[in-house]
Amino acid sequence: MSDKTVLIVGGGLDGVRTALDHAEAGAQVTLVEKFPTLGAERIPRDRLIGPEQGFMNPDLDKVRNHNNIRILTYSDIKKINRNNGKIRAQIKKHGLLVDNSKCNDCKACIKVCPVNMFDDFDEGLGFRTAIDYCNHTTGEYNIFKEDMPVCQETCPVHLDIRAYVGLIADGKHLESLAKIRERLPLPGSIGRICPHPCETACNRQYLDESISICFLKRFASDMELEQGIEPVYETPEQKYPEKIAIIGAGPAGLTCAHDLARMGYEHIKIFEALPVPGGYLWVGIPEYRLPKKLLQREVDLICNMGVDIQYNTRIGKDIAFEDLQKEYDAVFIGAGCHTGLKLRVPGEDDYEGIVDCVTFLREQALGTLPKAKGKLIVIGGGNAAIDSARVGWRMGFDEVYILYRRTKKEMPANSWEIDAAEHEGVILQYLAAPVEILGENGKVSGMKCIKMELGEPDASGRRRPVPIEGSEYIIDAETIVPAISQGTDLSFLDKGHNLNLSRWNTFEIDEETGATNVPGVFAGGDVVTGPDIAIRAIAAGKHAAGGIHEYLRSK
Amino acid sequence: MAGVSRLQYTPEIKTVRIMCTGRIDPATVSRAFKKGLDGLMVVGCYFGDCHYISGNVEAKAKIDITRKLFKHIGVNEERLAFRQCSSGEAAVFVKLVTEFDEKIRGLGPLGGDGDRVKAPDIFGKLESAEAVLAGEKIRWVIGKRTPFLESGNMYGEVFTEHEFNRAIDMIIVEEMEVQEILGQLKQGAKSVKDLARDLGIPSERVFRCITALNRKGMVALDRVAGRSPIFQLVPQEV
Repeated sequence: MSDKTVLIVGGGLDGVRTALDHAEAGAQVTLVEKFPTLGAERIPRDRLIGPEQGFMNPDLDKVRNHNNIRILTYSDIKKINRNNGKIRAQIKKHGLLVDNSKCNDCKACIKVCPVNMFDDFDEGLGFRTAIDYCNHTTGEYNIFKEDMPVCQETCPVHLDIRAYVGLIADGKHLESLAKIRERLPLPGSIGRICPHPCETACNRQYLDESISICFLKRFASDMELEQGIEPVYETPEQKYPEKIAIIGAGPAGLTCAHDLARMGYEHIKIFEALPVPGGYLWVGIPEYRLPKKLLQREVDLICNMGVDIQYNTRIGKDIAFEDLQKEYDAVFIGAGCHTGLKLRVPGEDDYEGIVDCVTFLREQALGTLPKAKGKLIVIGGGNAAIDSARVGWRMGFDEVYILYRRTKKEMPANSWEIDAAEHEGVILQYLAAPVEILGENGKVSGMKCIKMELGEPDASGRRRPVPIEGSEYIIDAETIVPAISQGTDLSFLDKGHNLNLSRWNTFEIDEETGATNVPGVFAGGDVVTGPDIAIRAIAAGKHAAGGIHEYLRSK
Repeated sequence: MAGVSRLQYTPEIKTVRIMCTGRIDPATVSRAFKKGLDGLMVVGCYFGDCHYISGNVEAKAKIDITRKLFKHIGVNEERLAFRQCSSGEAAVFVKLVTEFDEKIRGLGPLGGDGDRVKAPDIFGKLESAEAVLAGEKIRWVIGKRTPFLESGNMYGEVFTEHEFNRAIDMIIVEEMEVQEILGQLKQGAKSVKDLARDLGIPSERVFRCITALNRKGMVALDRVAGRSPIFQLVPQEV
């Protein structure tokens, strides 16, 4: 007997055969099949050719009775990790949804089942019902039940989209909003700004176009505003005494605070470096996409549950991170990505007039930016670049350019945002990259650019831009805003901290609970993922809230 | 009450007294139309006044679904109406009856200009409709409507009205096809091709229905004629 263990995924003909081969050779075999039975016999073909002549794989009985084979039917592989040459697989086994000990095979359920679906066994040639017998050797029945609709599965917070869109269709707008609020604390804000991965996945697009899932959230929350209703979040009777500190009042921090408050935690304090709440929602997203008044209202709702936000408090400067750890039972870090990355071209640090997009948008939102004058160049192709350009255009720059080194097709920004920017009069220059920043008297006077062409696809699957030699040209500009991604600022941590960091200077956490390697310290949002969309930060805040609750209750 | 108050209304109605509108079986409604009825108005109590708590709510659901089915098979759904009035409101009752009478007069006899499908085809359709409404499937679905909309299913998923109506629409279309096929097979074994031709349903849909019925044990292979399998009905135990 060798101590070799083999995992075989798929219990079809080949899977069964291979499992037998390995088992005969002495290995411990685990056979995983996604359907309730092995070897293409989930549905008997007896109706046409009779059970006696029905197709049977002679290997099946051998596999079932083999000592070295463990069969996991109706199971899905969730995750596979490789670690030091060992492979660990996480398998989810579904239960049968019928109590087969009480079933007497009368088939009455199949006759009345209202769910007619295409049969996945014969590739949709015929119909089957949701309840069906899956195995005529054991006579087991099972209800086929999908886990979640595809939109809900795609949404990072798994919002119950089916229900709230349906409630709006029924005309029950406020019930719909209540349904959204069960999982999402900022419906009005997210309903305006979310890049809605759910709509990209929506099944309706194969018929005509996706359901406007995102804007329906906005609609529901606007209906509430219109009717002048002031909602209140209910908190449970049972309260918990633990103190929780949250760093950053961005989407991740606010969601974490909201969830914890609704679980019954009374002493939650959010430390925010800026004088305003919302994090990037306030200082990154321009007013025309998300009115500050609305954001403030939704933040107030969370604060009304007893969550305390302390503004103008930068951890590491005003309060040491160590003190937080000592004073509070749990700490959640949702500090975000508030440092713009550098262009790394000559002249970048020499002249005044280069502002990275984070600072540009923040100072604009807080009203501390000097008056617009001359021309503005934004470098980059993400949503932050488009936001900076559109904000610049509104501030009154004479001409606003966006420089992107690939073409419009490869631009990571949402297509509707690009179209809107073009429509407003922003000049988009594709296939161009900065070479050098030019300046006079310590101030930026222009930028030397080079034309690019697309070469072979790189690791991201997009074609790599290659400079065309001798195609340099100069654009005059007074302000240059690089918007080429953002990084984290972890200067608030003490020198001797022992938190695990990745090579991108982000925290390494357990995805399910948001826990870092230090007990009681949790993290989530952009500070873990790098610059990402708000809804994913919200999901991280939710995971962390669950993790903190679990941690505090198990202490 | 209307009679006692000496209010005048059309003599062409026939009142059928039932204990509660919730007692109405949609299958009998369809049968009545098949026997030549031109219009049926169900007059129930107001919501909240029901002596049996929710009889009128169930009645409304049944009539709504029957109306949907009628629309699907080509009967003008205006021929079937659900109205509410209390036993003390004689004037309201007379008004309802008079309005309904006028409407049905405008539509003319069943299978005439007022309906999409003309007589005598309409009677065949109504026979299939009766089988649909008498079938187990639609009865289960109607019965599950209130719990699904209010307390949800076994997994706690509450359905919206919109979703439920969409599901009902699909079930009506499918059940109607199934009952029409079964109706044809009652007259003798047939191939998919013949069924498709006789019923005017695309043959791939007929084939899907036949395979589904086959799996449910309601239809079985009779013989193979040439290259076409001929299917026959399997008698069902009741």
